Amino acid sequence: MTNRPGVLASAVRVFDLSLGQMLWSRRSVFLAILVGAPMAMAIAVRMVAVTRGLPVINGAGLSGPTLFGILIWMLFVRFVVPVLGVFYGTSLIADEVDDKTITYLFTRPVPRSAVLLGKYLSYLACVVLLVIPSVVVVYFLIIPIGGSVGQSFPSLLEDLGMLIVGLAAYGALFAFVGASLKRPLIVGLVFAFGWEQTVLLIPGYLKRLSVAYYLQALVPHAMPQDSSISALLQVFQEFPPVWVSLVSLTGITVLGLWLAGKTVEKREYVLEQ
Amino acid sequence: MSSANIVAAEHLSKWYGQVIGLNDVTLGVPAGITGLLGPNGAGKSTFMKLITGQLKPSKGGITVLGEPIWENPSAYFRIGFCPEQDKFYERMTGREWVTALVGLNGVSEAAAAEMAARAIETVDLSDVADKKIAAYSKGMRQRIKLAQALAHDPELLILDEPLSGMDPLVRRKTIRLIKEWGRSGKSVIVSSHILHEIESMTSNILLINQGRILAEGNVHQIRDLIDEHPHTVFIRADHTRELAREFLTDAEVLSLKFEDGGVVVQTGRPDVFYARLTELAASGELGAIHEVTSPDDNLQAVFQYLVKS
Repeated sequence: MTNRPGVLASAVRVFDLSLGQMLWSRRSVFLAILVGAPMAMAIAVRMVAVTRGLPVINGAGLSGPTLFGILIWMLFVRFVVPVLGVFYGTSLIADEVDDKTITYLFTRPVPRSAVLLGKYLSYLACVVLLVIPSVVVVYFLIIPIGGSVGQSFPSLLEDLGMLIVGLAAYGALFAFVGASLKRPLIVGLVFAFGWEQTVLLIPGYLKRLSVAYYLQALVPHAMPQDSSISALLQVFQEFPPVWVSLVSLTGITVLGLWLAGKTVEKREYVLEQ
Repeated sequence: MSSANIVAAEHLSKWYGQVIGLNDVTLGVPAGITGLLGPNGAGKSTFMKLITGQLKPSKGGITVLGEPIWENPSAYFRIGFCPEQDKFYERMTGREWVTALVGLNGVSEAAAAEMAARAIETVDLSDVADKKIAAYSKGMRQRIKLAQALAHDPELLILDEPLSGMDPLVRRKTIRLIKEWGRSGKSVIVSSHILHEIESMTSNILLINQGRILAEGNVHQIRDLIDEHPHTVFIRADHTRELAREFLTDAEVLSLKFEDGGVVVQTGRPDVFYARLTELAASGELGAIHEVTSPDDNLQAVFQYLVKS
């Protein structure tokens, strides 16, 4: 008899099986359009900069690096990363259940938690493939507007690292939500755009129960004062040290995956007849 | 209960909220080929899901090949499962799909590819193995599903409605394959709502209805009952009307009607009818026969009879 494969080896096999399906799914096409929006925006800004000079906001000219920082904050950290986490994370197992293909994975000699881990790794590869090209294209379009590509390059690497850590944490958290609840998408959206945004505005310790609190501390750009909410955030600005953020986000990722794995192991998935 | 039983259930019940899927079933399934016969909604799929560890019993216990199956992934080394649903990773080719699934059994990639190729050859799909599953006919999809179940050479093959939608020739080949599997000392549990299908594979049956096992054992008694009721068959072919004309002359055909691009035939002698249909398909004189399915009205009538008696 063949030896039972370990969790990691099984997860890699599930990853191989799932990545193609996930990359070419309708969800990925839709989210690729979403992630493409910043690129379209960057092209527009670049064209304006070439024809009319530096973009001006509130009477002040914006340099490329400042504008890039605004896009990272406004579009990627506050919107794209949570959206990708919610839409993919909550559907890791739910998609297979809806498609009724989960049977093929759950009747093989691999722990169900390995199936979840493999799907999670596929998610991570998929979202990294969506986000990184978008950020890099935006960087090369925006930074040359009054900035130096070479000088800003280290901060691009920090941005990419921060976004991957954020995608990992949100994905693991929403994988747990998806494994536990019947309607995980609604709960996920409420958490990402209700709870996360609200607790950051409340003074005290509550904000420590959010992913955004730790993720913001890793952003290598100053927080833009683009709205009254941002101004309020600046007032209550309290960023944990980078190492605390990294440890916390790693903790959220590991705990989220462990809980999701345990839930999938115990839960029955009754396929609609 | 005999220790030689491949499946043993003790007061096994499964309910979904208020709905009872399986009700206090105690049974032992012997080695060899066993047919699970029952109309749609009888509890066949629930039983199949319980013996493949997809569902947890609400009450009672179940062992498969002497081991508990719920939360016991190691048991799947010894079990192959072909589910009823016509669902796949459509973008993959048949070969990629079977290879990837066998790979989950912990074998090397080369071994997985070899096992997949062998299984694909067994179900006669080698020529289309590198086509995407989305392009497969219903019969091919059934066969590739069968290939993934048997690729790792399991001791027990569990097949949920495996012949559904297959054309007569492939159906005959698949029946032969299942019987060969049984003869080689392996065990098979195969479900169907068509007695004729089960009868062509085994004489050992489990009769299930409304979540209860009504009868266990030899098929002949049930067959006598079912022969009293007309059997309905839906056929979709290249030349449906010419096919219908052929059947008109057969004494055992009771009625014919055209429906959904096919013909629905009622026959009093399903065995004779299926033999004739297979002959016609093999001769090819009326073109290809694409689909043969049977609604379970006749079986439902037998079950009502059994429940009342």
